[in-house]
Amino acid sequence: MKRSIKALTVIALGLALVTAACGSDDDDNNDSASTTAAAAKPKIKIGAQAFGESKILAEIYKQGLEAKGYDVSFHDVGGFRDLEMKAFESGTINFAPEYAASMLEFLNGKKGEATSNAGETAEKLNVVLVPKKLKALLVSPAVDTNAFVVKKATADRLGLKSLSDLAAKGEGLKIGGPSDCETNPFCVPGLKTKYGVDFSAKFQALETGQIAQALDADSIDVAVLFSTDGRIKAKNYVLLQDDKSMLAADNVLAVVTDELALDPDLVREVANITRELSTDALIEMNKRFDIDKEDAADIAKAFLTDVGLL
Amino acid sequence: MSITSEFVTYVTTSEHWNGERGILHRAIEHLRLSGIAVVAAAAIALPVAIWLGHGRRGGFAAQSVVNVGRAVPSLAILALLFPLSLRYGFGLGFWPTLVALVILAVPPMFTNAYTAIRSVDPFVVEASRGMGMRPFEVVTRVEVPNGLALILTGVRIATLQVIATATLGAYVGFNGLGSFINEGFRQQDNGKLLTGAVAVALIALLVDVAFGAVVRRATPWRKLDLQVSTKGLQP
Repeated sequence: MKRSIKALTVIALGLALVTAACGSDDDDNNDSASTTAAAAKPKIKIGAQAFGESKILAEIYKQGLEAKGYDVSFHDVGGFRDLEMKAFESGTINFAPEYAASMLEFLNGKKGEATSNAGETAEKLNVVLVPKKLKALLVSPAVDTNAFVVKKATADRLGLKSLSDLAAKGEGLKIGGPSDCETNPFCVPGLKTKYGVDFSAKFQALETGQIAQALDADSIDVAVLFSTDGRIKAKNYVLLQDDKSMLAADNVLAVVTDELALDPDLVREVANITRELSTDALIEMNKRFDIDKEDAADIAKAFLTDVGLL
Repeated sequence: MSITSEFVTYVTTSEHWNGERGILHRAIEHLRLSGIAVVAAAAIALPVAIWLGHGRRGGFAAQSVVNVGRAVPSLAILALLFPLSLRYGFGLGFWPTLVALVILAVPPMFTNAYTAIRSVDPFVVEASRGMGMRPFEVVTRVEVPNGLALILTGVRIATLQVIATATLGAYVGFNGLGSFINEGFRQQDNGKLLTGAVAVALIALLVDVAFGAVVRRATPWRKLDLQVSTKGLQP
């Protein structure tokens, strides 16, 4: 399958060259040359993980690339990073919006290589992506880390401002988060290694959409949300500061197969989109998704229009 | 590592058995919730079904209502109940799962019990009336004992469905055996996933065997009937 795609690409490129060469003294042939080049554009299959921001980012890349004439399809991988990797392996997808540090730590067996420097973390990510035949493209300035939040009343009652406070005074508190939090080095295991507090027995696994609801109802005391979640501000939750830098540079970037990474036009178009992303834009878009219940595709379209890519 | 060895490694690690998130605690929670759901569903379904079966009317309408519980997926019921449960202070896990399981368990119990009472030989019922039994006695001493095997079959079917479906509680934070399946899937930990699946299957099997024994003890005359009829065939 892969070989046949390569062969097709070679043939298409060859044709493009031939027609371009033949048409050097003929005005009409400019048209046919550009249509041949369009046909050689790779087919892009974007995978989104099971949370709002991943869906929104996938839609942004999808619509942004479609506007440049690419054939793009959207795939729900039905879970988190592990299923996304399976989807890459099976060829179901060849493109995914990702987060530098979390993906690095997922692939390197949680060695703790990720730092708070985005460029450095992305370079290390590209090293571990080599055997997977994947490549991380340009790093965006938009960061999304895990965010440990408590209700204002809890923070006031116990005097919680940071994760160190949580470790010191948070005994008996129940922590709720997505089920991968139990094994994610920037979540429960990270609290244990960096802050010396073991929440594993007090951990409640929940679906991502329900964690804030559970916090509101006092079914859990500490919620693990994403730092770009619009509800943190809207609901006046207190974000516990990561004073020992457990959380590393989780900047948004696009991860693609080696085949796609070899296409300089595509890499440039992707970079043009990535460059426009910002943490504030993510917070705003997540708010529209989680609180205003807008559709990911509509949110993506509005963003692309705003920044002038549509 | 193969799935089987991942499974063996998981279940032979002692720390996976202990604590609030361990196999033992989750298995007990799973059984407790299933047991309460079955008892609650029986308390709702059986008296109504027996009463309607005794009166021999209204059964079709009631069955249609009850069968709605069969048609709506338990996962949808859970998803609908979750925010309500939080809003009215019932919390995560237990209550939404319990209600969803009761809704699941009522239809098979109701249908079987109603059919059981309806299909008791009308001549036997007539004869008992002729002997001067009051309506209540007809129900408790004639209709229910005659239909007992079928009534218990309904409870048995419902129990198995409840044990298997209680795994869905993991989606709303119920800390039962389903949590192993949900977490195993999300963490790509096949050993964990299989632990949940095998434990549920094992418990369902054991409960079913136990139920079979109870049914045989509760209806000894079925064996007797068989002996009498074979004797009758002898010259």
